[in-house]
Amino acid sequence: MARSAKTALVLCLDVGFSMSNSAPGQEPPFQQAKKVIQKFVQRQVFAENKDELGLVLFGSDITKNNLAKDDQYQNISVHRQLMIPNFELLEEIQNDVHPGSQQADWLDALVVCMDLLQNETLGKKYERLNIVMLTDLNTPSSPDQLDIIIGNLKRAGITLQFFLPFPVDGGGSNPPHGGKALSREQQQGLEMTKQVMMSLDEEDGLEEVYTFSDAIEKLSVFKRVEKRPMAWPCTLTIGSSLAIKIVGYKAVCEERPRKSWSVVDAQTHQKDDIKRDVVYCLNDDEETEVQKDDTIQGYRYGSDIVPFSKVDQDQMKYKTDGKSFAVLGFTKQSMINRHQFVGTQVLKVFAPKDDEHAGVALSGLIRALDDLKMVAVVRYVYARNGNPQVGAAFPCIKEKYECLVYVQLPFMEDLRQYSFPSLENNKKYTPSEDQLSAVDSLIDSMMLVEEDKDGVKKDLFKVNHIPNPQYQRLFQCLHHRAVNPSAPLPPMDPWLTTALQRPLAVATRCQAPLETLKKKFPLKEVVKKKELKTSKELFGNSTEEPDAKKAKVDEEEDFNLADITEGSITQVGSVDPARDFRTLIRQKSLPFGEVCQQLTGRIEQLLGNKNMNYYIKCIPCIQTFREQSVQVGNADHYNSYIQSLKTSIPVRGLQEFWDMLVQDALTLINKDEVDGSTFSSHDAKQFLTAGEKKEELVAAVVDDTGDVDDLLDMM
Amino acid sequence: MAQWNDYHHEDEDVDGEERDESGVDYKSTGRDSLVFLVDASKEMFKGEDEEPSPFDMTMQCVRSVYTSKIISSDKDLVALVFYGTEQSKNPRNSFKHVYIYHDLDLPGARRVQDVDGLRGEKGAQVAGETMGSGNTNLGEALWCCSNLYSDIKLRLSHKRLMIFTCRDTPHGGDSERDRQARTKASDLKETGVVIDLMHLMKPGGFDVSLFFCDVVSPPEDEAELGLQMEPCGKLEDLQKRVRAKEMKKRSVASLNLCLGEGMNVAVGVYITALQARKPNAIKLYRDNNEPVRTKTRLYHTQTGSLLLPSDTKRVQVYAGRQIVMEKDEVDVIKKFSDPGLELIGFKPMERLKLHHHLRSAVFIYPEEEMVTGVWSACVFTALLRRCSVRNVFALCKYTRIRNSPPRFLALVPQKEEVDDGQAQIAAPGFHGIFLPYADDIRTLDTTQLPTASESQVDKMKEIVHKLRFKYRSDAFENPVLQQHYRNLEALALDLMAPEHIEDLTMPNVNMMDQRLGSLAQEFRDLVYPADYNPEGKTAPKRKPAEAAGGTEKKPKVEMSEDELRGHVQKGNLGKLTVPVLKDACKQFGVKVTGTKKQELIDALTAQLTK
Repeated sequence: MARSAKTALVLCLDVGFSMSNSAPGQEPPFQQAKKVIQKFVQRQVFAENKDELGLVLFGSDITKNNLAKDDQYQNISVHRQLMIPNFELLEEIQNDVHPGSQQADWLDALVVCMDLLQNETLGKKYERLNIVMLTDLNTPSSPDQLDIIIGNLKRAGITLQFFLPFPVDGGGSNPPHGGKALSREQQQGLEMTKQVMMSLDEEDGLEEVYTFSDAIEKLSVFKRVEKRPMAWPCTLTIGSSLAIKIVGYKAVCEERPRKSWSVVDAQTHQKDDIKRDVVYCLNDDEETEVQKDDTIQGYRYGSDIVPFSKVDQDQMKYKTDGKSFAVLGFTKQSMINRHQFVGTQVLKVFAPKDDEHAGVALSGLIRALDDLKMVAVVRYVYARNGNPQVGAAFPCIKEKYECLVYVQLPFMEDLRQYSFPSLENNKKYTPSEDQLSAVDSLIDSMMLVEEDKDGVKKDLFKVNHIPNPQYQRLFQCLHHRAVNPSAPLPPMDPWLTTALQRPLAVATRCQAPLETLKKKFPLKEVVKKKELKTSKELFGNSTEEPDAKKAKVDEEEDFNLADITEGSITQVGSVDPARDFRTLIRQKSLPFGEVCQQLTGRIEQLLGNKNMNYYIKCIPCIQTFREQSVQVGNADHYNSYIQSLKTSIPVRGLQEFWDMLVQDALTLINKDEVDGSTFSSHDAKQFLTAGEKKEELVAAVVDDTGDVDDLLDMM
Repeated sequence: MAQWNDYHHEDEDVDGEERDESGVDYKSTGRDSLVFLVDASKEMFKGEDEEPSPFDMTMQCVRSVYTSKIISSDKDLVALVFYGTEQSKNPRNSFKHVYIYHDLDLPGARRVQDVDGLRGEKGAQVAGETMGSGNTNLGEALWCCSNLYSDIKLRLSHKRLMIFTCRDTPHGGDSERDRQARTKASDLKETGVVIDLMHLMKPGGFDVSLFFCDVVSPPEDEAELGLQMEPCGKLEDLQKRVRAKEMKKRSVASLNLCLGEGMNVAVGVYITALQARKPNAIKLYRDNNEPVRTKTRLYHTQTGSLLLPSDTKRVQVYAGRQIVMEKDEVDVIKKFSDPGLELIGFKPMERLKLHHHLRSAVFIYPEEEMVTGVWSACVFTALLRRCSVRNVFALCKYTRIRNSPPRFLALVPQKEEVDDGQAQIAAPGFHGIFLPYADDIRTLDTTQLPTASESQVDKMKEIVHKLRFKYRSDAFENPVLQQHYRNLEALALDLMAPEHIEDLTMPNVNMMDQRLGSLAQEFRDLVYPADYNPEGKTAPKRKPAEAAGGTEKKPKVEMSEDELRGHVQKGNLGKLTVPVLKDACKQFGVKVTGTKKQELIDALTAQLTK
């Protein structure tokens, strides 16, 4: 591992008050930026590389930096010096980084970061120095120092990345989606950002400016550490007199987690407190223990047990004479069944990088095989003590390279030649033409590869672009548990669930063909009939009652559990946001506004999924929000949120959800309930009904189109 | 094109016989059992022309089943019973003319040897001397077999009985005995025994309808009835037929293939190719060569008390922090969805790439034993047909058991294919090819090298042409396994030396050279310059990073505890090299099981942050 290949990086986060302002229906920039940082640090922690990280906050209530003097560099605090990131940092970010009430110049903050980087990397070797700036640019800054700053950045070789709440090119006078136009400060800031980035890298500078939402999406995926492919140099032989030097690489292989679980004592959590002990005992009634030294090795040969010492075995076993990639012969590609591939890997075989002659020779073989549609059947031995394999080497010609693709083929002992009853000759199974065409339309509606207008094929579901969900989930849980040791495991990340499902477009498209298919194959009993029947027979009509009882018990249990765990709640989580919200308000450990912001953040996150299940989860959140706001006597947060939510409904296609709010009569908080409210009770009600009318209109339109089929059916 | 064996031994006179054996998937649901009930009447010993006698063929078949059982399903029970003998040998000798040669038990080396002794002319002689040929009473023979099953104390999951005979009227028209045999056969079938007839060539043809149609079990499907009617004249055919029957198809999972909400097709998942491995060694007690049992215990190092699994938790360490989970949580993290196959959509076949391979494919076929079998099979057949015609595969999410993370499968349609003898070559169903995730695909940096000219490619084509053969997946035996079992056989039977195995994976270099003639030299002249030696060692090149870092062995550096603690606190233990870390472990008496860097770091961190 190259030791110098590490990066020093400073995260520079704007915590100024403007970062808490959000456009209606959107998460405040502060929360977004915090998420970016969390995801990023989390990824660094699990990657376990040597990169060092610092954190600088600006707009903070306190001032803590080397440059602060008199009234200069105020409200900028170096939260953490350069260090390898760890869980403490993650906890600090989660618990201690809150929006401040001040403002600070982002250019000043940049200077503090540069100072930090330069001081702490002095005398050490780093591959890259980088500053990541997360801000809404909503502070007036003085551009007079800009040139000096740029000059210093260049001299020190420091690179810059910007993360903004809005896209860099969508700025100007056009309001970005969400509604609010950029302020004058922001426009000025954006110009300066552009200037800095362009002068650092004229061509691609602006590509290093990202939006928060983009970044969150990309950082959600835990990237696994790239393994350096191991070269396997060998010689391909054809007979005794033709040899070609080759190098093989594993190209496809199931990636395993790097770390495994170790067993510890449940109380002390110490590995050393547990010892695993293996004892041998005779197969008699007393289970007489015998010493390991008194045992010998043997094998079963059917009913026989054959003592066979390790020494004898080594002497008598099959031996190979070292690594080999020997061609046994050539056969047609069509003779090789791909479902008979065995083994757990695919090798790609190239000529050595610096050997042109081997390259030409191998190319000759690859092209000959490709033209003839044939493969080489080869004997493959990895190393002297490796077992021989027989496999197929397929020709593979790409635009940029040529290679052989090697896959292992089965031995006779590996095959199970099952025969299955024919499906063709059996009348019972033979589908009708009608049924076949129903299947055809299902296939049509569910094609995942589409051609767009320009004839370019687009694959809607690329498995080889999905990260292994097992590890994504594992890291998510590890992170959660590391930071919240006593909390239950978090639910699956919604993006992961979505990534593993039928793409939305396909799911919608196949609805009608599926219905037809159901009608054409009318036998519906798919569930194991027997079981269902018996349970019904057994319980008869009384089934409903115990169910209801059970639900009640469950509810109580839930409530108790909530009480027990509430002590550890420090933020509004995603499992039960309403409960967390209630608890936090009661605890008064955080300011009311902050908690409200966290809750609305969660609601927005849930609504982002556009799914009825998530909508259902949101309703109690809003109910609790309202209820607690009335109790606390502060209606501002609730009312402004509901108002902004309402305006964003049509844009975000959330009519369905709004409908649910109307049904539950979640009106604005009126004057009678809370003094500070500006709404009369009539206003509050009006507010909802206005939405309802619009709703009906939309619904009616939808209904109209839906009727056509029904009408036809009736005729 | 020549087949592998012919091609491999071009100069030898090839006898086209290959031993046909196949593996069986054993699950702990119970033992499989198989009884060979072999006719020992005079007719069985009469060979026609050059063909071996029906008895000889049967013995060869039995032998190959014995050896294949030993290798691939060593828990299965096998018995060999003769009927129509002169002598009788069975418990209490209550059944006349029935000779139990091998009781229902695991086959072993001795038994293989026994059966060998019954082969060929000498074998016929031995059989004549020990058993002789006499009266036939199939009813008694079947009764005797049913006792074999009932005497077994183990749980039997699959019971099969194969009758080998060349006589279509065993009792020569004695209707009383016919009736008795039919009754006994139906008794057996009622207890779950499947009876197959392996009828052999008989002059004048074998008429199943005369008697045996009432004895054997009904076939699995209608179509099979027709092809079962022809008697076997050749050993190869008989072996094929026995092999197809001898193995119980076992599915690794029974699942629903979900096409969409409310459209579930019950399917079984089978494995048709899986690497057979050498079985694990067992420990024997030195004094009596009896197997010993191993017991694993967990105990507390401080208190010495035994620990239950519930007294433990699981941890992983990241960035110096121990992350603790319950065993159940570790399991439940792997749960994504309930077991099943969920259809995502369809893709044209060309989207399935050659390198999409992670492990052996599975085979998907409608579940036969479910109530809804017919309906499922119908939907399944329709899907199979249309996918096949339209050359598309179905992309599915596959969750095998409750806590297994999902994998994506490409379901590739396969239409049924039969050979001239109506034997199935390809079964109808879908092959499920495992598709790699992003993590499973490694990025390789490739460099562009010069490509071959047309004349060079043409010369290679000549070479390829000379070395063509017809690949068959069952042509190669695993030399490692074969050698292992030959060794065991030799030891079990006290042979001087194990039987020689032929390593079919070795290239037959002489034959290849001969076929190529001057072609190899011509190709070399075309691609290699005169001074180039393709077999020469490439200068050992190390990666530049390694060369800079660790080629020279550093002298041992003893590190002070403070220094080390400093490293632990800063979390930069990773900067130290593995040898230094190992030394440090020794120095502080930290026990490490692994040698991976991370393990060393974890161990040290754990020790020093106590």
